[in-house]
Amino acid sequence: MLTPSYLIQQFINALNMGSIYALVAIGLTVVYGILRLINFAHGDMMTVGAYLALAVLSSLALPAWTALLIPVFVVAALGVLIERLAYRPLRGAPEVAMLITSLAVSSLIENGATMTLTAQPRPVRLPAELVQRVDALGINFAVMDGVIVALAVALMIALSLFVRRTTIGIAMRACSENVRVTQLMGIDVNRVIAVAFAISAGLAAVAGVLWSGKFGIVDPFMGFVPGLKAFVAAVIGGIGNIPGAMLGGYLLGFAEVFFVAFMPPEVSGYRDAFVFVLLLVVLLVRPSGLLGTREVNRA
Amino acid sequence: MKRLLPVLWIVGVMGLAALAQSALNDYYQRVLAVIAINIMLAVSLNLTNGFSGDFSLGHAAFMAIGAYTSAILTLPARTKAIVLPDLPPWLGQVELPFLIAILIGCALAGLVAFLVGLPVLRLRGHYLSVATLGLMVIVQVVALNWQPITRGARGISGLPPLTTLLWAYGLMLVTVMVIWRIVHSSLGRAMMAVREDELAAACRGVRVFRTRLFAFVTGALFASAAGALWAHLITAITPSSFSFLLTFNVVAMVVIGGAGSVSGSVIGAVLMTLLPELLRRVETALAIGGQPLYGLSQIVIAVLMLLVMIFRPQGLMGRHELIQVLAGLSGARNKPSSAPAELAGEAQRVA
Amino acid sequence: MFQARSRLPVLPVIALTLALVVSACAAPPPAAQPAQQPAAPAAETIKIGALYGVTGGMSSIDAPGMNGMKLAAKQINAAGGVLGKQIELIAIDGKTDQTATTNAASEMINVHKVVAIGGLNDSTFALAAGPIAQKAGIPFVTAGATLPTLPEQIGDYFFMAPFGDDAQAYAIADYAIDDLGAKTAYMLVDQAYDFTTALAKFFKERFTGRGGTIVLEDIYKSGDTDFSAQIAKVKALDPQPDVLFISAVPSEAGLTTKQFREAGLTAPIISGDGFDTTLIAEVAGENADDVYYSTHAGLDNPDPKVQNFVKAYTEEYGRPPENAFAALGYDTLNLIADAIKRAGSTDPKAIRDALAATQGFNAVTGQISYASGQRKPDKSITIIKVQDGKYSFVKEIKP
Repeated sequence: MLTPSYLIQQFINALNMGSIYALVAIGLTVVYGILRLINFAHGDMMTVGAYLALAVLSSLALPAWTALLIPVFVVAALGVLIERLAYRPLRGAPEVAMLITSLAVSSLIENGATMTLTAQPRPVRLPAELVQRVDALGINFAVMDGVIVALAVALMIALSLFVRRTTIGIAMRACSENVRVTQLMGIDVNRVIAVAFAISAGLAAVAGVLWSGKFGIVDPFMGFVPGLKAFVAAVIGGIGNIPGAMLGGYLLGFAEVFFVAFMPPEVSGYRDAFVFVLLLVVLLVRPSGLLGTREVNRA
Repeated sequence: MKRLLPVLWIVGVMGLAALAQSALNDYYQRVLAVIAINIMLAVSLNLTNGFSGDFSLGHAAFMAIGAYTSAILTLPARTKAIVLPDLPPWLGQVELPFLIAILIGCALAGLVAFLVGLPVLRLRGHYLSVATLGLMVIVQVVALNWQPITRGARGISGLPPLTTLLWAYGLMLVTVMVIWRIVHSSLGRAMMAVREDELAAACRGVRVFRTRLFAFVTGALFASAAGALWAHLITAITPSSFSFLLTFNVVAMVVIGGAGSVSGSVIGAVLMTLLPELLRRVETALAIGGQPLYGLSQIVIAVLMLLVMIFRPQGLMGRHELIQVLAGLSGARNKPSSAPAELAGEAQRVA
Repeated sequence: MFQARSRLPVLPVIALTLALVVSACAAPPPAAQPAQQPAAPAAETIKIGALYGVTGGMSSIDAPGMNGMKLAAKQINAAGGVLGKQIELIAIDGKTDQTATTNAASEMINVHKVVAIGGLNDSTFALAAGPIAQKAGIPFVTAGATLPTLPEQIGDYFFMAPFGDDAQAYAIADYAIDDLGAKTAYMLVDQAYDFTTALAKFFKERFTGRGGTIVLEDIYKSGDTDFSAQIAKVKALDPQPDVLFISAVPSEAGLTTKQFREAGLTAPIISGDGFDTTLIAEVAGENADDVYYSTHAGLDNPDPKVQNFVKAYTEEYGRPPENAFAALGYDTLNLIADAIKRAGSTDPKAIRDALAATQGFNAVTGQISYASGQRKPDKSITIIKVQDGKYSFVKEIKP
């Protein structure tokens, strides 16, 4: 069973899942870093992105590549809008208040989609060149899988450059250190937060499009599970920390795939429990996640 | 007189419950029982999430432990021989009264909370939240895989419908009274001190870890009892019964009612149980073109949650108790407690 | 706030809310009640409950079921109703939540006074709602929950409109052995559902009982979307299994088929009625090849009963039936209406007795007859094949 090709195949599988988890986790962590908000509606941004991609792909009037771009911009705008309506009025309120509004937003999106679009899962058909399979030496993957990893890595690099090199990116990092001091420095915090939400939702949209493209399906609840897993990934890496979220995402992807790959079925049913035990162990050794810094009196 | 007051209230509430049990039909009794169970869940979760400041997302785990324990212990031995043939013989034979089954469930849940709390409560903030969420997932996964005891995905059904209004409101009263007493004892003040400033509390001699562990374990005990009541109301439990959605619902009750207010949790639980029930009847009746607007009730509730949080971010009751508010309304006296409470709220505003 | 807190107990609060609640409940909500009977028809109506999880996780199979039941009610009423009365469907959403579902069942019985209830496609919810109807002496017909032991577990007022999982699992196991010549099988089982685990258990029982071998048994959990780890395990098998048995619910049927085929696994995929969804062809596309499943009815079955249903459903909802659960919902209400007609009364006990005596009721999903003392029909089972993204009727197996 443990042939090299089997190992490589599972490695590729894990890399794929990890890339998507990482994208979702980064979006979650960017917002968390500034607002200390665990955004339970984050996964639903994936869902919206995926439905938009489906609409673009089935419209035929638009070229296929816009199925990635349009969702990103629309969902980023939606993220900013939600921030304005559901989170900004709560600035300065107890953190749990925003957690509840994010649950409410999530319920709005899921039930709204169920009411208007029905809960029937809908198929997503990608252009043929993306579905093509590469099969060599017993290793098999689709072009789409390569696109997922490449796009995820590219976006992560772009984001790292953005937060290091641009003014607004630096302001974002400053905000996640200390919002009040940043404000005193003359930074428009509202603008920084809006940008953070746009980035966060945009990344979720990308993840949603990739997810629905890879698996060929969208339904109103598709974002729930990956959203929750991304939360776990972000926490493993140290929530609020962008490289941490990437690391956490890949770790989660590898843990999940390898557990199923190398454990007998009697044990592999415990996969989700294993993931959380792993999380607990990580947290007990490093209470602020792998790359997180110790927070003083903030949570 | 003050000593006598609780007794009077017990008699009053139980009398009402007995009256409701004899006068109302099964549907209203069910809704009332669900309200009592949700009050137990919300009030007990509030102990950690509102008073000691540890935001737990694992309440459904303790509910599940209570539900499964009491289900297995109360199921008639004859039924168990058929549905759970692989139980250890001693467990297959045993057939306990409801109260004892509930108490054993509480003990188990308390033990689990203690063992899990020892490592997990070293964490803070959202790290603690995700760790408790993990506890919930682990319990769910164990229930799904531990076939001989839990029947896995098939769940345990055909439970005797033991949850009457008297049981539900009796246990609810116990929960609320015990937690009310805890919150208003030195232990409760220690919890709030820990919530506000751990370091300061420690300096004043509060044993921080012990206090937090106490809150966590106590919350688990009552959640387990609520789980047992729920199991014997619904009469069929599966691992998926104790899900994220259930946890989130209880968290929403606590926050909407006001984390840090016992009466707030009660109000939150009542609202979040009754509203969906009433709205569902509206959505069934409101039909556009013959098609009821299924999903409308969830959407209305989500919008209401948003509005409550926007206009009262501290929850309906904030950190006050209904008694204080009523006293304030009557203008009898100024509450000396409100100023520090607001200060405390201010202190929490970091960002 | 640490001192000077009032020592008064919280009890007044509870007593107050409790009093409010009791008074609110004792007087039925005025808004909902009158609206329940639109334009109060002259003759009294026959109230029948339709209970489904129209929203939430079960929505994709329960919503079509609800539509099927409504379509049947509309047709019956257009044809003059039953016993000269119109049927009034009390259709309530159980929200895929056990508490809401049991509350809804109780509301139907105690508030709306229904004479029978139909619906629910998952045994988790049927096992919670069924006993309420049983206790109240109201017949309950499950439209799509296929756990074969349901009627015994719940009681003599509980009926199944579909066949049991045992029957459909045996049928597909027999088909794999007899028609596909399978000697070895791989099993992938969703461990999150009662239905999927039961189906797998019965399949394994039959397949190994007839001399077949299970070479590998693997699991996943509903909600998983990525099966690459499991697939890599199958690919590492040598020799490859003759058939791939996948015990899944509709939302994962398309996903698994697509991923297994794309990974280059070519053995026939077999399953039960969880695979009865257009998603297999839609999601897997041209990869939806060599898939066989046992189910309730083939929608391309030329039987006029089936074709009339497909046509009526398409006209009513603007799309063909999403899956077999639409037909089962349709059959469920017709079955109840037929029993009321034969009973000549709307007394729940009489309806129950008439239901139990059902013989040769001609439903879209096959003939329903309850053998004496049985409340699970011995229906015929249809085998469907998916080839080149097309679904075709293969054969009908009588148990």
